[in-house]
Amino acid sequence: MTIVNFLIYFLIMVGIYALLAMSLNLQVGYAGLINFGQVVFFCIGAYTSSLLATKTGLPLLFCFLLAMIVSGFFGYVMSIPTKSLKSDYWAIATLAAAEVFRLVALNEGWLTGGPFGVMSIPQPLRFLFSMENYPLFYLFLVTLCVIIVFFALALITDSPFGRDLKAIREEEDLCLSLGKNTRKLKLEAMVVGGMVGGLAGALFAHYVTFISPENFWPIETFLLWAMIIVGGRGNHAGAILGAALIQIFNVSTRFIGEYVSLGSDSMASLRMVIIGFLIIIFVSYRPEGIIKEKKKVYDPRNIR
Amino acid sequence: MLKVKDLQKKFGNLRALDGVSIEVEADSVVGLIGPNGSGKSTLFNVVSGFYEKDGGEVYFKGERIDGLTPDAIAKKGLCRTFQIAKAPERLTVLENMLLAAEGQVAENPISALFARRRIARVERKNLEKAMDLLEILKLTELMNEYAGDLSGGQKKLLSLGRVFMRNPDMILLDEPTAGVNPTLTTQLIKVIRELQKKEHKSVLIIEHSMKVISSICDKVFVLNYGQVIAEGTPEEIQKNDKVLEAYLGGV
Repeated sequence: MTIVNFLIYFLIMVGIYALLAMSLNLQVGYAGLINFGQVVFFCIGAYTSSLLATKTGLPLLFCFLLAMIVSGFFGYVMSIPTKSLKSDYWAIATLAAAEVFRLVALNEGWLTGGPFGVMSIPQPLRFLFSMENYPLFYLFLVTLCVIIVFFALALITDSPFGRDLKAIREEEDLCLSLGKNTRKLKLEAMVVGGMVGGLAGALFAHYVTFISPENFWPIETFLLWAMIIVGGRGNHAGAILGAALIQIFNVSTRFIGEYVSLGSDSMASLRMVIIGFLIIIFVSYRPEGIIKEKKKVYDPRNIR
Repeated sequence: MLKVKDLQKKFGNLRALDGVSIEVEADSVVGLIGPNGSGKSTLFNVVSGFYEKDGGEVYFKGERIDGLTPDAIAKKGLCRTFQIAKAPERLTVLENMLLAAEGQVAENPISALFARRRIARVERKNLEKAMDLLEILKLTELMNEYAGDLSGGQKKLLSLGRVFMRNPDMILLDEPTAGVNPTLTTQLIKVIRELQKKEHKSVLIIEHSMKVISSICDKVFVLNYGQVIAEGTPEEIQKNDKVLEAYLGGV
């Protein structure tokens, strides 16, 4: 693989993870919903889109849209227990929900192909490009999605809705006392988060053209957490920065592996250990992350 | 306006509310006093829907509201503050005020995306109102500070500000002047009174300071051990033997 090809692959993965991190950040950084099952949206998006494409031959645009809708619907389902579970117990439920989906994908072979996964997933507009140029087009597609999602989320969070989410994060009882239907607000945050996560899943599936339950281990969720802890929560740029940094770290350790005589298994474990340390360091010394949540400042002269 | 009938609330074997009946008429300020642990805050928590009752009925504007969720009760126009003032830490003072404003648009992602013009218009109107209120509460200087950085007293003021932004028909105030300096307390009393006179709001207020009670309340209920032991005008209450005993009991 040439350097350029590798760079394109790397940037596409950064984009996909940036989408996932932004989606997690909306839930965690804004609404304070401790979601330990974010990978489930990635999983549902990837499977929905690739199964629709391979089994029904639906146009890929619709596969992507349906992936977002199904994944957003699952965000709704996941938000239901917030009514009766305290946030820490809900966090455990999300972790379990993600595992349930991975195991369903692993065992319901008639639908998902089981451990063999879904193969030869068609790629959008593949016929327009040569083998060499296609990744570049895909990078463009992913970048476009990241830009659109970034601005859409920025609009959503810079609104009374975003303000409500932040208030729920900090004082849910206060929101209730002001007549805010906090359940509905959390639900909406989960649905939006689910849709963005589903989009990332679909983009991933149609890029790598082969997915299996192996892609959706809970560790993916924790990588996403590392991204928003390092990059910074409560702002969308932090999520993108975190995605880029963690991916750079992942890739760079791969190259180091060529010079250090560690087996690839040990190297993969070591990588997780280092990311774990990184999380501890950030939580202890810079809990707000690299990019701090921005304070909304009003100029009194502009108000009157 | 608000009618509480035979309200019961138990915590284990403790009867926090033991058949409390009170009535707050429209356009009046009613005080609620009693020693610590007499059930005042519990009454607020049950009426505002934060605690489930164990018996009894609550009517607001003639409608039964017990069993509703706190946000549904607030939407009906019955708003409360908390004894320990709550303030979302990483929202500024001004954002806190805007958060509470009535009639907001775009409190959902779809309108947040597509109703930008309307948002800007409504936010502008709310900002003006918020600035006026902050002026009264002497918080103008702090408008762009995080609410988490305010002192306890300032948080109390902010919680009053939020309630005024919300503009409900009836306000439940849980010790609004605790921790607020005397000058500002006098100011606050004036604000609450003016608001009540001008907009004909009903107010039910928990307060320990007799000075505050006698200067704004038309009527006072006294709670002790989860029961109403006396009711009447502030003057009558101050002369009531049972009340004196409850407060000074054992001395």
